[in-house]
Amino acid sequence: MAHQAHAYHMVDPSPWPLTGAIAALLLTSGTAVWFHFHSLTLLTMGNILLLLTMYQWWRDIIREGTFQGHHTPPVQKGLRYGMILFITSEVFFFLGFFWAFYHSSLAPTPELGGCWPPTGIITLDPFEVPLLNTAVLLASGVTVTWAHHSIMEGERKQAIQSLTLTILLGFYFTFLQGMEYYEAPFTIADGVYGSTFFVATGFHGLHVIIGSTFLAVCLLRQVQYHFTSEHHFGFEAAAWYWHFVDVVWLFLYVSIYWWGS
Amino acid sequence: FSPVGKMFRAVVRLSTSGVRNLARTRPCYSAPLSARCYSHAKVETDEEFDARWVTYFSKPDIDAWELKKGMNTLIGYDLVPEPKILDSALRACRRLNDLASAIRILEAVKDKSGPHKDIYPYLIQELQPTLTELGISTPEDLGMDIL
Repeated sequence: MAHQAHAYHMVDPSPWPLTGAIAALLLTSGTAVWFHFHSLTLLTMGNILLLLTMYQWWRDIIREGTFQGHHTPPVQKGLRYGMILFITSEVFFFLGFFWAFYHSSLAPTPELGGCWPPTGIITLDPFEVPLLNTAVLLASGVTVTWAHHSIMEGERKQAIQSLTLTILLGFYFTFLQGMEYYEAPFTIADGVYGSTFFVATGFHGLHVIIGSTFLAVCLLRQVQYHFTSEHHFGFEAAAWYWHFVDVVWLFLYVSIYWWGS
Repeated sequence: FSPVGKMFRAVVRLSTSGVRNLARTRPCYSAPLSARCYSHAKVETDEEFDARWVTYFSKPDIDAWELKKGMNTLIGYDLVPEPKILDSALRACRRLNDLASAIRILEAVKDKSGPHKDIYPYLIQELQPTLTELGISTPEDLGMDIL
């Protein structure tokens, strides 16, 4: 067996970065082909390859860390930096959409009637379902913190309960938003109001789904005894991502739903 | 004597004397009208307000976004803008080739007047030379005032 004189992890060669890149190519070209030639073949292939890549790459990371012990403290520190930088990049992603919203709403054009909300737009009441959604996500922030403390204190059953509750709240949010989207009196095609509303809240919703999935994977791992009270970075990363999703919602709620009505 | 005990007694002494001072220098409830509890921030006079907004719209290279932002902020205030401010805004519309916004400004100030139906005719009267000079029709001229 080979030995190393350092605590870092020299990863074994892996095909998943390549398959991920090919998936990206298939997704982008597939989208273009779908738009112009109405064929979903490339796009579907891209999606399948993406899902396979994600499953196998992350499964390998779990094998390397949890089962083979490669995630020493310095390695974990690197993973932490990575997650923080990734979330930061996502913050900038959303910043762009908030820029678009404020550009359009602070100085509404004559085509909209020079006012915000634009003439003819019936906005959603911020104190109805959107307020409930806010409460749901804030509550999920509490339950995910409960889960974290449970893991740190070795409370297996409570960790499973609180993590499950967090995921259920996430699903409830997605369900409520889905209903709101269905019932909304305006669509994405309704001028810049519709564009900014649905692109910003739509990407947020996608991130809620991603976050819920991440938490669900953590639940599976917790049930299968992957986490210890000292070492559970996968869960922490999921919790950080979940808090980020919650904060983005708060900004969306205050800016678009409340101020923008 | 513990230092904590000394500190506690000092705090109690300060707070009781403070309470007495409070009652003496802040007679908010029974004071004559002259002693109000306003903040000490500088208050802008009406003339300063008007001048500030005339200057805002007079910027030679004002861009379309600034015009619309300015109008939205102005219309958000609890007042009907003076003719001189509207004149400056209309001229900014002219510089930006935005006739739609010029007419919209007239609709907006009519709406801001609320139940005071005499304000709008007064504004149109004051602005008539400018409207004629810049070739701006009123919503009434265009038949846009009926729903």
